[in-house]
Amino acid sequence: MKFRPGSFPWLVAHDLRLGFARARSIFGDARPATILAVVAAIVAVFHLLAWPAALWFIRVDGEAGASALNYPALACAALFVLPWLVSQALSNATRALYSRGDLDLLLASPLSARTVLAARALAIAIESLMSVGVFLFPLANMAALLGGWRWLAIYPALAAGGLLATGAGLAVTVALFALVGPKRTRFVSQILATFIASAFVLSAQLVNVLPEELRDSVVATFNHPQSGSWLDRDGFIWLPARAASGESAALALWCGAAVLVFAVSAVALGPAFMASARRSAGVGGATGKTRASARARRFRAGVGVALRRKEWLLLRRDPFLASQLLLQIVYTLPISVVIWRSLGPNGSLALAVSPCIVVLAAQISASLAWLAVSSEDAPDFLASAPVSRAQVERNKLAAVFAPLGLFLAAPCLALAFVEPDMALLTVVFALGAAASTALLNMWRPHPGRRSDMMRRHQQSKIIGLMEHMIALCWAVATVLAIMMSFTTLLPIALVAALLWCNHPRGAPRAAIAG
Amino acid sequence: MSSPVSALKLTGLAKSFGASIAVDCLDLDIRAGEFYALLGPNGAGKTTTLRMVAGLLSADAGGIEIFGINARRAPIEAKRITAWLPDEPMLYDKLNPLEYLEFVAGLWSIDASEAQSRARELCEMLDLWKHRHERCEGFSRGMKQKVALAGALIHNPRLLMLDEPLTGLDAAIARQVKDILVERVRAGAAIILTTHILEVAERLADRIGIIQRGRLIAEGTLAQLRGVSGSSQSTLEDVFLRLTQATELAA
Repeated sequence: MKFRPGSFPWLVAHDLRLGFARARSIFGDARPATILAVVAAIVAVFHLLAWPAALWFIRVDGEAGASALNYPALACAALFVLPWLVSQALSNATRALYSRGDLDLLLASPLSARTVLAARALAIAIESLMSVGVFLFPLANMAALLGGWRWLAIYPALAAGGLLATGAGLAVTVALFALVGPKRTRFVSQILATFIASAFVLSAQLVNVLPEELRDSVVATFNHPQSGSWLDRDGFIWLPARAASGESAALALWCGAAVLVFAVSAVALGPAFMASARRSAGVGGATGKTRASARARRFRAGVGVALRRKEWLLLRRDPFLASQLLLQIVYTLPISVVIWRSLGPNGSLALAVSPCIVVLAAQISASLAWLAVSSEDAPDFLASAPVSRAQVERNKLAAVFAPLGLFLAAPCLALAFVEPDMALLTVVFALGAAASTALLNMWRPHPGRRSDMMRRHQQSKIIGLMEHMIALCWAVATVLAIMMSFTTLLPIALVAALLWCNHPRGAPRAAIAG
Repeated sequence: MSSPVSALKLTGLAKSFGASIAVDCLDLDIRAGEFYALLGPNGAGKTTTLRMVAGLLSADAGGIEIFGINARRAPIEAKRITAWLPDEPMLYDKLNPLEYLEFVAGLWSIDASEAQSRARELCEMLDLWKHRHERCEGFSRGMKQKVALAGALIHNPRLLMLDEPLTGLDAAIARQVKDILVERVRAGAAIILTTHILEVAERLADRIGIIQRGRLIAEGTLAQLRGVSGSSQSTLEDVFLRLTQATELAA
């Protein structure tokens, strides 16, 4: 379908085409037929996975009638979907603001800025929607196939959620821009998006941590709320859940509210967003901190100092690093809570916490090592300097370990208060894990941009797999060591074998030429 | 009278990428205190040659000597007295000019206090001082080029290799850069420059080498090149086009 050039749908189609091109880059140089086959296979697998959930929906419908719903389950779903949508919208809105792309071109064109923003906002909403829809639409389809047609309401309910989240995302971005300024908005919004996205993970774990009696009481309150209370099923809080389950009045109200919020945001915040976009174009200059510290500082000499200092400055100023590392921590820590609870009241804290610390050390070290080696901004410059490759690598490794120490200090110190010997063991194994994944990334570099850190495994899935395997091996080794088993040497030997296979042995490396 | 010191001596330098020959038995001798312009059409092998001298590419065959140091055998020592400035400035977006210069000075093991005063001098000379605390990510291409040039000069290199150094610079700064380079040459450094702006080579270079298909097809002063091409009043552009087209036809 062709739209009139410059029209609103034409702009939306343009933005979606760019989004599609970004998504397509995951497949590298694969032919369209291959991509289509892979996508079809993924869609089929998701539909198969959705089958049991759809069956359960239909069973609940059949047992208690269409008006009865499993409210705690739907509440959990809403708790996951809505924060995720807001987080995605926030990230996408910030990206639209800072990754200039074609925004300068569009703003310089005779198109109305309001139309440009509205189109971009709608594209953001669609992209955010698709990030969740890929999991939930198969569920709606399977439920409909099994006779539960009302579950097709997930489509419009989710679309409304996308619009609402985008409105909120735009508002938060513009507010942040006004509150903390253009230089810090990107950083703050990344952290905020991380926390919002992790709301579900934390909430789910919160339920696990609660004492059994309290948990039963919470579930009972959700299932049988008092009339007139904030949990009353006629209240606004259940609106998204009722809309998704096909209740027509709720669906109409939910969609209407979403369209209204989106339209008001796009129209009212349009000029502010565009002004922010224009101001963000000049971002990159000095921050007050840089200015003050640089004025006070004297030059320091030495190759090692220069290399490490440069890495630390770049890590500290990476706008995405903090949020991405935080996300890894937030998603890993609840696992230790689950293990701890499953061990019972007399379980060893080290057994629950140490493997998670070791896995975190491996992951963080891998990320930092990739940043230091593969996303080196000026590899040719380093290669033209009178410094040996070994010297560069040694100092980069040292630079990676220092921030890692900061991340691990708090949990290891906390563990030391309870089980000091186990804390020492954890530190040793965490350092081993960190060194292993850092060496893997140094020996098998895959050049990429810093902002692509979390997507780096798309470039080399084998390296990603090995990274995870090394982390897992060290975690298993830690557990076995805590249990005083000599078999702890087996996973360590496997790691050593993996590293030995990846050692370059004099072969030329891509990132740092010699 | 002693013969002038050889700053860069290439003997039979060769490099191929698969079946494609980039540099084909290249011999070159550039003397200390000489401004040498290496010209050639796109893909002639200029940048490949400079990258081999800078230690970024290993040569398939031949020798590279920088002020008597065998660069293939002792690359670290050779790099210590060399600077390479490519056409795309090699900078760190998140560092400011002072931090970048401190980093470069650290890599070249320059004394800290000397590096600091040198950094200030270069920043002032290149009109970077007022931007010294701003991160490079916000700089224009010309500004980035100036920061990279300051980085190339901070360790007082004896051999300076410049790949299209004036790209993106405004007229005033380009003039300033040219003056700095001439001053370097007067102080005894050797400069090898590649450029497509032939007027720059015509005005600055003591000698000009024209490279095509990885081979040196002509070398000498402008007057000597005019003689080779058989046109005594021609501009360097005319000479360059005549020589390269003749070689192309012969090939």
